Order: sequence, then C-alpha cells, then structure tokens
Amino acid sequence: MAFQSKRKYCYFKENSITDIDYKDVKLLRRFVTDQGKIMPRRVTGTSAKMHRKLVRAIKKARNIALMPYTNTSTES
Amino acid sequence: MRYYESLYIVNPNYEQGKLDEVMKTVSETISDYGFKIINHLAWGKKRLAYNIQEHKYGSYVLLHFETESLENLDSFERFMVLQKPILRNQTVLLDDKPDKQSEKAPSREEDKKDLTKGNTEEIAKPSDKDQSKDNKDDLKVVGEEVSEPEETDKEETEPEEDQSDKVEENEEDE
Repeated sequence: MAFQSKRKYCYFKENSITDIDYKDVKLLRRFVTDQGKIMPRRVTGTSAKMHRKLVRAIKKARNIALMPYTNTSTES
Repeated sequence: MRYYESLYIVNPNYEQGKLDEVMKTVSETISDYGFKIINHLAWGKKRLAYNIQEHKYGSYVLLHFETESLENLDSFERFMVLQKPILRNQTVLLDDKPDKQSEKAPSREEDKKDLTKGNTEEIAKPSDKDQSKDNKDDLKVVGEEVSEPEETDKEETEPEEDQSDKVEENEEDE
C-alpha cells in the first residue's frame, strides 16, 4: 500500500536498555540530527520515559564537549 | 554511600608527565576532602565537539569516587574550576557503584583511533602551538585528498599514452 508507514518502536525498549550513559556518544548520535539538534519523539519513536533520559544524557554530553551544541559546516 | 563520576578535560598541550602531575594533584585534593577514589584513568586525547578556550583537542580524564558526606563536594567543584590546566569538569551522581576498571578505558573503537592519531601528532610536533597544529592537520588532510585523485589520474593517463605509443608503433610497422 502506498501510505502504509512502518511502525516505530522505542529503540531502548527493543534493546532493553534502562540507563543511558552520556559517554556513549555512538548511541546518542542516532537521536540527533546532522546539525546536532535532538530529534523529536514523534520522529524517533522513543518512549516518553526514555526520551527524558535521552535528553538529559545528550545535554550532559554537550556540556563536556563530547557532542556539539550546534554543528556548523566546519565539522565534516 | 554515594558514588560520583567526574569527567574533566585537561589542556591538550600537556605531555604525559604533566598530565600525570595534574591527575596527581586532583587525587591528592580528593583524598584531602575525604573522598575515596575508585577509578582514575586517562582516556587520552580526543577532538572536542566545539572549541574550549580556543583548544580543538582535549585530554579526557575519568574519575570515579565515593563519599558519605556532601560537605566538600562544592569545594571540590570549586577546586576543579580554579585549576588552570583543567578546561572543563562535570561531576555526576551515579546510581550504582562503578566497576573497577583497568588502565585502559573500554571506550569505542572510533575513539581509540582518534586517541592514537592525537598522540602521534603530539609526538611529531611537541613545540607547535595547538592552533597552528590544527591548521597544519587540516592542510594535511586537504593535501591527501587532493593527492589521491592526482595519482589515479596519472594511472589513467599513463596507460592511454602507452596505448597511443603502441598505435604509433603499429602504424610505423605498417
């Protein structure tokens, strides 16, 4: 069917992850746009509970310069 | 008992010996405040996501410690901020007791590659300032990118010339 969209699932529930570590940049990068913005829940399909944890982890990672606040053209 | 994790960034121009000194002072002050160190390991040099005090790279150090009283936590934060070699510090409360880790942090493979790169660069040019080094690195990267296609072009062109030579030879033969 033309308009049948793929069902979104919470990544953390699928992989049974309960705690998000702010040092795990590889994981956090999935939930961030190329610009460095946090992607909305309606796009990623993350559950509300885990999204709150995710946001906190991303903001911690940003503070300690593991992740960018904004990504300008200087970085590849 | 409360467990804390502190991740701090040390000036990237510091060599291994100086870095050890900084780590030692941090360990000593922590002991003075009555905290007990669980882990204290250097991640090595990594590229920062954004410049801090005009530094593009930074040496990350991870510190786990435990304490019962909250008295000296503020003064510890203050101490870390006042340390000149430490560019940034972030202390986080942990839910569980952290595992005792060996010397090398089990970080991602990508990071390890970055670390090795950074170290080799530092060894190659220890006297250079950070910014100039970074610029040179950029230039290097650009140069590599440019040089690769040139090589391929040469490879492509050379056979063509050979072919033309052969053709000419053939013509002469005829």
